[in-house]
Amino acid sequence: MRLHPILFAGPPKSGARSPQREPVPFKMLLPLQLKKTVSGKGDKLKEAACMQEMAVMFACFKKSDFDQTECLKEVAAFQGCYKEYNDRMTTQREQGKKGILVPGEKKLTHRQLNQLLKSFPPKK
Amino acid sequence: MSNHIRHLNKCILRYPSYTLPRISVVLQTREYSRPTSFPDFFQNPIFRKEDQAKLIESSELSKIAALPVKPPAVYETSSVYHDPLVNKVINHVMEKGNKQLARNLVEKAFENIKRSQIERYHLATTPEAKAKIELDPKKILHKAIANSKPLLQLQPIKRGGITYQVPGPITEKRSLFLAIKWLLEATYEKERTVHFPKQFAWELLDAANNTGKVVKKKQDLHRQCEANRAYAHYRWQ
Repeated sequence: MRLHPILFAGPPKSGARSPQREPVPFKMLLPLQLKKTVSGKGDKLKEAACMQEMAVMFACFKKSDFDQTECLKEVAAFQGCYKEYNDRMTTQREQGKKGILVPGEKKLTHRQLNQLLKSFPPKK
Repeated sequence: MSNHIRHLNKCILRYPSYTLPRISVVLQTREYSRPTSFPDFFQNPIFRKEDQAKLIESSELSKIAALPVKPPAVYETSSVYHDPLVNKVINHVMEKGNKQLARNLVEKAFENIKRSQIERYHLATTPEAKAKIELDPKKILHKAIANSKPLLQLQPIKRGGITYQVPGPITEKRSLFLAIKWLLEATYEKERTVHFPKQFAWELLDAANNTGKVVKKKQDLHRQCEANRAYAHYRWQ
């Protein structure tokens, strides 16, 4: 191997960094306080929509060999559930986007919460 | 514009190439008319009487009345013969904007349906059997599409490096699209000697009867969804 000055230019490659010695000193990188906003992660639904209705429909399908005409009630329930879910989501999205505050509402979306936090900022 | 181009082409063709210097400009022709563009705030026309009645009932007419409206297309009429679903099917059949041909094909299929249903009607002996036979081809189309609409769909969702086919509900719009697509796919899968209107009429009659290729395809999709129901909780939503 040809020796070149560049090979010696970097940090020493004699070994790994030595482990930190206890006690490790605390360095404050950010101020120790909560942010003045909330993130929207908690708003996501854990459960997928209309699982119960889908299971009931599958059971009926299996019984009638996938003939839809024999499961009209179950199919209607499933479709109604999905439609209701969609409508709810769209209204929620619209209201959330605008950040409209409904008086007396117990469950707030993160956008509404941020709206409130912005208009009444927390004091130190 | 296209007329001019056609005229120019004729002029060029009339003279042999050695008399005219060779034109290097490429003439672009379009096979379809370009839609007129309107600004965003122009509203779509509401041309059906039912929709207008709905607007008046919900008292939203006064909101729209002041806004500028696009002119309706030629096929958008308030005639009693106008059916949005039939128009949709015609648009799916259409290729390269040749609406006239598409419309002719669909109407020919309707004629075939009517003929075969009338034949069956006259072959039926009892009045009860006659009453059961549907003679309106548009009603048969509606029924066929309703019967071929899937209720569920499989979405590929990647979890832990493996792609699962996850069953879930389907939107109304996608369901309608798939129904029409499957009906047309089944129709295109035909012998060369059988023409489109005939095959399309057969497929529509089969689907309206809740039998045939398309209904089987829908049921197969439902079966697959049922087999994959264990993955249903992977859906996020």
